[in-house]
Amino acid sequence: MTNRKKQPEGVDKKGKANSSEKTETSTPQEQLLANKDEEILSYIERLKRLQAEFENYKKRIQRDITTISEQVSDQLIADFLPLFDNLRRAFDSLDENNATQSFIDGIRGIFSQFDQLLKQKGVAPIMAVGKAFDPVRHEALLSTESKEEKNTIIEEFERGYFRSDRVLRPSKVKVSKGMIPPEEEKP
Amino acid sequence: MREKIIGIDLGTTNSCVAVLEGGAPEVITNTEGERTTPSVIAFTDSNERLVGRLAKRQAITNPKRTIASIKRQMGTDHSVKIERDGKVEQYTPEQLSAMILQKLKKDAENHLGGKIKKAVITVPAYFNDSQRQATKDAGKIAGLEVMRIINEPTAASLAYGLDKSKEQTILVYDLGGGTFDVSILEIGDGVFEVIATDGDTHLGGDDFDQRIIDWLVDEFRKDSGIDLRKDASAMQRLKDAAEAAKMELSSRKETTIHLPYITADASGPKHLEKKLTRARFEHMIDDMLQRTSSTVEATMREAKKSAKDIDQVVLVGGSTRIPKVQEMIASHIPGKINQEINPDEVVAQGAAIQGGVLAGEVDEIVLLDVTPLTLSIETLGGVVTPLIERNTTIPTEKSKTFTTAGDNQSSVEIHVLQGERKMAADNKSLGKFQLVGLPPAPRGIPQIDVTFNIDTDGILHVTAKDKATGKSSSITIKESSHLDESEIEAMRREAETHAEEDSKKAKDVEARNQADQLVYSVEKSLSELGEKVSQEERGKIEDQLRSVKDKLSQDASADELRQAMEELSKHAQRLAEQAYKQTATEGSETSSDQEQKTDKEENDGDYVDAEYEEDN
Repeated sequence: MTNRKKQPEGVDKKGKANSSEKTETSTPQEQLLANKDEEILSYIERLKRLQAEFENYKKRIQRDITTISEQVSDQLIADFLPLFDNLRRAFDSLDENNATQSFIDGIRGIFSQFDQLLKQKGVAPIMAVGKAFDPVRHEALLSTESKEEKNTIIEEFERGYFRSDRVLRPSKVKVSKGMIPPEEEKP
Repeated sequence: MREKIIGIDLGTTNSCVAVLEGGAPEVITNTEGERTTPSVIAFTDSNERLVGRLAKRQAITNPKRTIASIKRQMGTDHSVKIERDGKVEQYTPEQLSAMILQKLKKDAENHLGGKIKKAVITVPAYFNDSQRQATKDAGKIAGLEVMRIINEPTAASLAYGLDKSKEQTILVYDLGGGTFDVSILEIGDGVFEVIATDGDTHLGGDDFDQRIIDWLVDEFRKDSGIDLRKDASAMQRLKDAAEAAKMELSSRKETTIHLPYITADASGPKHLEKKLTRARFEHMIDDMLQRTSSTVEATMREAKKSAKDIDQVVLVGGSTRIPKVQEMIASHIPGKINQEINPDEVVAQGAAIQGGVLAGEVDEIVLLDVTPLTLSIETLGGVVTPLIERNTTIPTEKSKTFTTAGDNQSSVEIHVLQGERKMAADNKSLGKFQLVGLPPAPRGIPQIDVTFNIDTDGILHVTAKDKATGKSSSITIKESSHLDESEIEAMRREAETHAEEDSKKAKDVEARNQADQLVYSVEKSLSELGEKVSQEERGKIEDQLRSVKDKLSQDASADELRQAMEELSKHAQRLAEQAYKQTATEGSETSSDQEQKTDKEENDGDYVDAEYEEDN
C-alpha cells in the first residue's frame, strides 16, 4: 500500500513540473512516459473501484439471498399453518366432548389435507419394497438373508420422498442378501 | 482468467473443497447439494464406484467393499482387498484417497465450469513425511498437481487472516466427527511453525451422539421394559434424533426428543418422548470434554506456553459449536476465541486462500479495505441517515437525495457522522458544512444530492449539490479511518447494547417528524381550500390539529402521537375527498394539484427531511 501511495505523488510532481515553466526541457519521450504513468494510475483506480464494487455487490447478493431464503421459508411455513390449526381444533374438540370417532375422522381429514399439500408442493414418495436397492434413493439400515433376490428391498422402515427429481430424503430400508449357501459365501 | 487452485480439506470422516472467488474463499457444493462430502468409498456389484453420501448409504448392504476412514491408514503399507467377480483387487490408501479427491475435483469442475488441475491439500499437523508424501501421491493419482501440503491448523489460521498481523501464538482446537487435535502454532512474517501438537484419533461428535443414544435406550427400557438395541429401524431413528438434539442444544437450553411409534409390544404401539436439558447433555459428555481439556493443558506444557502467551484461539470441527466446549476453552484461555467462520469449512477455506496466493490471485490490488463503521448524515430530529454502511469495501461512492424541512429554507447543514447508533448525538462527528443560497421554495421541494466518496486511501469526500441551481459545497475528511481497532470495537459494542433504546428514540423522532409533516400539510390544505370547507368540519379539524400540536410540544410518546395523528388524518382525508369532489367539477388543473399533494403526504410520511430516492 505504501508503495502505491507514493506513486501518485511522484507523478503529480512530474505533472506539475511539466505544466509549469520547464515544459521546453521535457523530451517527447518523457512526456509520453508521464502520460502513460497517468494512464496507468487511472486504470489502477478504475480497477480498484470495480473490485470494490464487486465486493460490495457480493455482500449485497449475500444479504439478498438470506432475505429471500427467509421469505421462502416464511411462505412455506404459512402454507402448513392451516394443518396445525386443524390439528389444534381436533384436540380442542376431543377435550370438550370426548367424541373419539369424530376425532379419528377429523385426523383422517387433516391427513388427507396434508397429503394434498405435499402433492401440491411436488412431493412424491419413493418406491421401495420389491425394488432393487439404489443408494441414490435408498439408505440401507439392515441387510438380511431372505428368499428374495440379492439386493432387493424387503422392508421399508421410513418412507423416502422426491421433490421434482431431487431426493428430499432417501427411504430407510432393509435389503435382502439373498440365500447364502451354508459352506461358502460366494460361488 | 488465471488458473484456479482449489483448497481441499481431506478429512477422516468428511471432506470439503473450496476455491478463492473474487478474493474470498467459497465452499463448493457437491452434486448431492451438500457442502461437505463423507470420506467413504464403495465398490458395488455392478462394478460401479461410489464416493461420498451414496457410498455411505449402501455401506450396510456392502460392508466388505465399503471403505471409511482411510485417512487413518495413510502412509502405511496397509492395503484394502476388494473381491470383485471372483478376483481380488488390492487398493492402497493413496488410491482410495485419490477416489475421494477425484470426486471433489469433479464437483469443483462442475461448479467452476472448467478443468481443475491444481490443488492445495491439508493434513493433520502430526502427519509425518511418509503420510504427507502419501497425500501428495493421492493427489497425483486423482489428476491433481498438489501445489502444497499444508497443516490443518495452519489452514484454519489462514482463513481467519491471522498471517497478516504481527508475530503471534495461536492455539487451534479441532474437534471433528471422529478425531480430536490440538496444535499450537507460532507465526511471524507469514510463516507458520507448529511448535506442539497432540490429540486423540478416536474422539469426536459421533461419541457424543452415542452417549445420547445410550441414555435414550436406557430410559426407554426403564419405562417400557423394551430394549430398542435389537431394533435396527428404531436405532436409526434414535441416531438421527440424538444428533438433532445435540445440535439443538447448541442454541437452546432444552430440547424434547419425540419419537412416536418407536416400537410396539403385545399391549400396542410405544412412543418415546424425552426432555433433554443442556446441563444434562453436558454432564453426559463431561468425561470426554475433560480429556480434551487435559490434552490442551499437556500441549501447552509441551510448547512451554502459558495461557497469557496464546494470542488467538481458532475453533475447527462441528463439535466446537457445543457451548460447553467453548466455555471450557475460555476457562483455559479467556477472551481470544475465533469462531465466526463455519468450523466445518474453515480448513478448506484456508486451503483455498493458500491456493489463491499460489495462483497469484491474492495480490495488493485485490486486498481492499472496508469502512469499519457506518458513515451517515444527520437529518431532522437528530436521527442519522446512513449513506455508506459499515463493512462496505472501498473505494466506493454513494448518493442520496434529501430535501428541506422548512418553507423558504435558504441553506442546509450537512453534518457528517460515523458510527452505528441511530441518534446523531451518539455518533462521532466527522465534520459539518453548509450549502447556502437555496432559492425560496416550500419545504420538501428542493432536491439536494449528497454524495459520499471514499477513495483508495480511505479519505472521505462529501459533496452536497442543489439540483435546481447546480450550487454545490463539499468537505474532505481525512481522519475517518483513524480510529484504531479497539475504538471501532468499542463503538460497535456500544451500538449493540443501545440498539433497543436507540430504535425507540429513532421511532419517537420519526413519529414526531410525521406528526409535524401532517400538521403542516393539513394546515396548508385548510388555508388553500378556504371557504370550501364547512365551518363545522373546519372546527373539528382545528381541534384535532391543536391536539397533535399539544402532544408535539409536550414530548408525548410515539404511541400517543400516532393515535392523535390517526384521528387527524381520518378527518384530513375526508377534507381531501371533499375538496376533490368540488374541484372535480371545477376543472382539472386544481384537481391534479390536489392529487399531487396527497401523493406527497404519503411519500414524505417517514421523515420530514426525507430522501426521495436512492441514486446509487
